[in-house]
Amino acid sequence: MERKNILTFLIIAMFLSLFVALANLDLLQGDKFRRLSDSNCIRLIEQLGARGNILDRNAEIIVDNKISYDVLLLPQELDELDRILNGVSRILEVEAKDLKAAFRRNYFSSSIPVTIASNIDLKKAILLGEYKLDEPSIIIQPRPLRHYPYGSLASHVIGYVNEIDRWRLTKLEDYGYKTKDIVGFGGVEEKYDYYLRQEEGGLSVEVNHRGKFMRVLGFEPPRNGRDIQLTLDLKIQKIAEEALSDRKGSVILMDPQSGEILALANYPNFNPAVFVSKRTRLIAGLFNNPDSPLINRAISSSYPPASIFKIVVASAGLELKKINLFSSFLCRGSTMIGARRFSCWDVHGVQDIIAALAHSCDVFFYKTGLLVGSQNIHDYALRLGLAKSSGLELPYETSGFIPSPLWRKINKFQNWFDGDTANFSIGQGDCLISPLQAANMMAVFANGGYLPSPYIIKAVGALDLSAKKKKMLKVPFKKSTFEIISRGLRAVVSNPRGTGNYLSGLGIAVAGKTGTAQVSRGATHAWFAGFFPYEQPKYVICVFLENGGPGHAAVVIAKQIIEAMHKQALI
Amino acid sequence: MRNSFLRILVLALIISSLGVLSIYSSTYQKEGTPWQDIHKRQLLWLIIGLACFFMASQFNYRKLWDANYFIYGLALFFLFLVFVLGIIRLGAQRWLRFAWFNFQPSEFAKLAVIIFLARYFSRKSIDDISLLSGKFGIFRGIILPFIFVAVPMFLIIEQPDLGSGLMLLLVFVSLLYLTNVRLKYIFTLMIILLFPLPFFWHFLRDYQKQRLLVFLNPNIDPLGAGYTVIQSRIAIGSGGFWGRGWLSGTQSQLYFLPESHTDFIFATFSEQWGFLGSSLLLLLFFLIIREGFMIAQRTQDSFGRLLAYGISLLLALQVFINIAMNMGLAPVVGLPLPLMSYGGSSVLVTFIALGILVNIDRTRSVF
Repeated sequence: MERKNILTFLIIAMFLSLFVALANLDLLQGDKFRRLSDSNCIRLIEQLGARGNILDRNAEIIVDNKISYDVLLLPQELDELDRILNGVSRILEVEAKDLKAAFRRNYFSSSIPVTIASNIDLKKAILLGEYKLDEPSIIIQPRPLRHYPYGSLASHVIGYVNEIDRWRLTKLEDYGYKTKDIVGFGGVEEKYDYYLRQEEGGLSVEVNHRGKFMRVLGFEPPRNGRDIQLTLDLKIQKIAEEALSDRKGSVILMDPQSGEILALANYPNFNPAVFVSKRTRLIAGLFNNPDSPLINRAISSSYPPASIFKIVVASAGLELKKINLFSSFLCRGSTMIGARRFSCWDVHGVQDIIAALAHSCDVFFYKTGLLVGSQNIHDYALRLGLAKSSGLELPYETSGFIPSPLWRKINKFQNWFDGDTANFSIGQGDCLISPLQAANMMAVFANGGYLPSPYIIKAVGALDLSAKKKKMLKVPFKKSTFEIISRGLRAVVSNPRGTGNYLSGLGIAVAGKTGTAQVSRGATHAWFAGFFPYEQPKYVICVFLENGGPGHAAVVIAKQIIEAMHKQALI
Repeated sequence: MRNSFLRILVLALIISSLGVLSIYSSTYQKEGTPWQDIHKRQLLWLIIGLACFFMASQFNYRKLWDANYFIYGLALFFLFLVFVLGIIRLGAQRWLRFAWFNFQPSEFAKLAVIIFLARYFSRKSIDDISLLSGKFGIFRGIILPFIFVAVPMFLIIEQPDLGSGLMLLLVFVSLLYLTNVRLKYIFTLMIILLFPLPFFWHFLRDYQKQRLLVFLNPNIDPLGAGYTVIQSRIAIGSGGFWGRGWLSGTQSQLYFLPESHTDFIFATFSEQWGFLGSSLLLLLFFLIIREGFMIAQRTQDSFGRLLAYGISLLLALQVFINIAMNMGLAPVVGLPLPLMSYGGSSVLVTFIALGILVNIDRTRSVF
């Protein structure tokens, strides 16, 4: 072939190869390159919505959000950066050096805006907003932060917010959670995080090769989280927390007719604001504190119920017809069971059931307990809602524990003796209940035979949940049983020698039961669980003091609470 | 023939208008009047180029035979001037500053060397008017013309303008192939040229070495030497089939693509006009080169034929290497895309070369 023809073919081949290469880039890899091109010049700036507020039953705000402003900068060339940072430092009255250090510290990639200052006040944000007109690369991002107007009030009900941890992330990834998300820990914040959670919006902007802002491409507004209304009554909650003040323990107030929790207070408590302001020293203090201030004692801890448990034994005795209103036992200050002497805390003489409840006579209940039998006591405890969690919407509720001979045989390889039954009858030994369970059990006698499913969420967003709550469970006791025990509970206060007599003379008829739980170490736990007004019970109250001394200490606090509520005309 | 005149004129005008559009789109947003006026300057060059095209098409190319030593000497003189006085711009000394424009002698030298070679290989024997080149031995067939090419080539590579220098070599080799010089001589030359390549490596500037390495793998230095190729490929690829539309390409409009109005104008064009536009542009270039080859093939005069081949080859190789480099298929060497890239010298020389082509076609009937 002639040389010139070969050359012509070569030229044609060259052009064909260019054509093929062009088709490869444009048609086969076009989508990939389009994406790369977009990632070159499109920056996403997230806009944060506000987490839902938490309100009390009267729609008063317990937790809301306060807007703080962050200053972000689109990464760009160094000399440009210096100029902008100098301008920003003049407005914020911060040294440009510090801003630069912050920029370097927070820089992640050239395509992600960098936070250079956070939490600036509104006035400076407005000034910066004016400067932004000249330097559109500055981004002022409103960041709603959790705000707690009452500090630590109801902290255990609310919980706190913090950056998501690894464990939660693995569980929640499928629901759209990502690293560095702020999520709730404990309380309503954790349990209802999905509803409270805001949806991020964002701004997509176009930048040039130096990272300089060119124009806004699109905007998706953020959506706020849904508000959650609680059944708590802020006024009662305040009264409860003030009365508890700095004694370790819990106070619960509940509506016996519906199961609504009106107040739930614990001490030690914490101020959730320290998690927002990221004060690491204080946060570490909370986690390392041996008194565990983050624990919601009212529902997550269980304790020996002591004399409060006598209600269970009394119910069992009455129901099984082992005793009746007229049965009585003689208390000489102690009694022999087997070879061991079981003592009472006082010498009460002849006691019928009303007097025995009023004086909290141990001998009466040792004997009743032995008549009823341990398995029956166990069964009746379960009917009154013990040994299982009540279903309150707060996380980490304990179910408590009620022993039985069978359990003992299986788990401890020990036999159950009459001495154990005696111990069991006065709520000592292995049995454990949470303050919430005590309140719940008391509600059964307040409302005449219905075991409530306590709840604390009244509404989510505009959706009222109170109608959807579980119905109260009928407790299948005889009417007379409730009446007799209620009378006994009333006698605790009205009887001049009753253990709760301190509560008489309030102007309000209170009924209830005290308890003094012996513990292996330290002072006794103090219990008081009751309800008022006696004729038309509106409130169930449970006061529990951890290592708080005799039951009387709890009665004192209950009196303060009822007095204050009476004064504020809440009853 | 008036036909080839018209066809070449129309094709060149279309291509260069597309060039002006692309230059405008990639520079109109830049700050400062020099940038915003750059498309007007290109338009001015285009008008001057057209004038030169008409003049060259009227000017009998046979006179170049006589003027050939003068032209070659002039080119050498300019190159030498650049070598001595060159002003530093864009890290390269390639320009001579005249009153209001910069003149790039390497562009002119390409044409001068082609004219020189065309004359050298088309001398005829006094005895039987056959071409002397068929009887050339290795010295007169290869070594002597190589020396004539190597001097300007060396000066151009030294500027440093590796692309234009190698372009001379490529045109030289292809012209050798087209004359009757024996194949084994050409292969000998190639081997001699390839053999010391590793030694030349050391004479390359650092940035040139980097560019060659980056050609092998652009990702070794994505923000440095590889940046241009990566961005250029993104620009071309993101155009897709239809392109992003005029003035809408983000790669060139937002300056992610460097040199978007000169060496990488094809990427700028391709981003905005997509596969469709780019294929059409390729076709236009192909048609204009094909025109050149047709002229060469129907020319009887051996000087005219070699000259036409040389000019067509110069165009074809520049277009190919430039576009291949835009697509990351060839190393980044500074080579403009003829008729499209911004640059007065390139536009002017290309139009003159096209004018000579037309003139060869017009005058050939005389012989």
